[in-house]
Amino acid sequence: MATYKLYYFNARGRAEVLRLLFAAAGQRFEDSRFEQNTWPSFKSQMPLSQVPVLEVNGTTLVQSQTIARFLARQFLLGGRDGFELAKVEAVVDTINDFVSILSPIRREQDEKKKKEQLQKFLNDDLPKHLQNLEILARLYGNGGQYFIGNNLTLADLTFYDAGETLLQLDPNCLNNHPWLKQNRLLVASQPRIAEYLRNRPKTAF
Amino acid sequence: MSIYKLHYFNFRGRGELARLVFAAAGQTFEDIRYERNEWPSNKSKMPLGQMPVLEFNGTQLPQSITVARFLAKQFQLAGKDNLEQAKVDAVVDTIADLIVKYSPARWEPDETKKKELLKKFFAEDLDKHLQDLDVLRKLYGDGGPFFVGNHLTLADLYFYNTGQNLLQMDENSLNNYPWLKQNREEVEKQPKIAEYIKNRPDMPY
Repeated sequence: MATYKLYYFNARGRAEVLRLLFAAAGQRFEDSRFEQNTWPSFKSQMPLSQVPVLEVNGTTLVQSQTIARFLARQFLLGGRDGFELAKVEAVVDTINDFVSILSPIRREQDEKKKKEQLQKFLNDDLPKHLQNLEILARLYGNGGQYFIGNNLTLADLTFYDAGETLLQLDPNCLNNHPWLKQNRLLVASQPRIAEYLRNRPKTAF
Repeated sequence: MSIYKLHYFNFRGRGELARLVFAAAGQTFEDIRYERNEWPSNKSKMPLGQMPVLEFNGTQLPQSITVARFLAKQFQLAGKDNLEQAKVDAVVDTIADLIVKYSPARWEPDETKKKELLKKFFAEDLDKHLQDLDVLRKLYGDGGPFFVGNHLTLADLYFYNTGQNLLQMDENSLNNYPWLKQNREEVEKQPKIAEYIKNRPDMPY
């Protein structure tokens, strides 16, 4: 019987995809959330002074993407064999390619600069990345509504979460991408995920 | 007719990790190398217009680390079980963070600016990243020379290649990290890897 304890801020951030994995799997876990002002006292306990961190059966795992892939494999949300797992990961990497461009922009303090960078991202960068995701969905998705094969995987959960952030910044950014829109709707309508989304703490990011 | 074909440029870059995995495993593969001037006419053949791309039994897989992770799993170089694979992954992700940090300096075209950026990286950033790797090998290694458990994994191969880049930029960069130095030597003396390094094209990056 595995026991899981997740440490992160009281925010979606880099942990939400992990919480979605637990939800999709119907797996209980301790969702340890701290506020910004209590972080300094937790920081020194984390191996790399960063979160998320997952404690599983006495082992401490670091790095959000590592934890996501680990949980996906544990919960059979990583495709049906080694090569399908690789397809899942390729989609996740492609999503993270644009998330990593977006992160520093969102942290930009200068409001004017931030607005400019965001516009550039939405107009110049994002369309290419969304097209890349559509290419991979066509290559790996068997013509269905999930990214890989005909089953929900980490790829769909990762896009669901990243999509939420994108739509917060621009509610229209998926309008020219009906397959991606439909994919998110399908994820949100899975009963365990729908329930999780209804009940989770509402946070700004 | 190999079931594995790797498409990448004729330099180390983001393709070398996959080549090191094939070498460590003693696995034959088609090492398709493109010169820069051949790339424009081949770009559209790659799913995301980028390389490396692995062709496995005719299906294309993009994203360099996903490719390396898939190959490592195929050849038992990824960790013995799900949890060990996550430990290997955590080290790999932490090495990737280091690469993201030094890349702007490494690829800066303006020589004066490059010198400044490199100086800043080595003075302010390098230590945190190497210390993080030291923390993880103490957490996940078994007191031996490898990052995870007692055997060579993808983590060691990745640090081997990344260390080569660091030492190119500053030959003293690992002087304060004897375990990391020793780890690279351990990788280098594996017979199949020694053979591969002896015979591969000698590329500056």
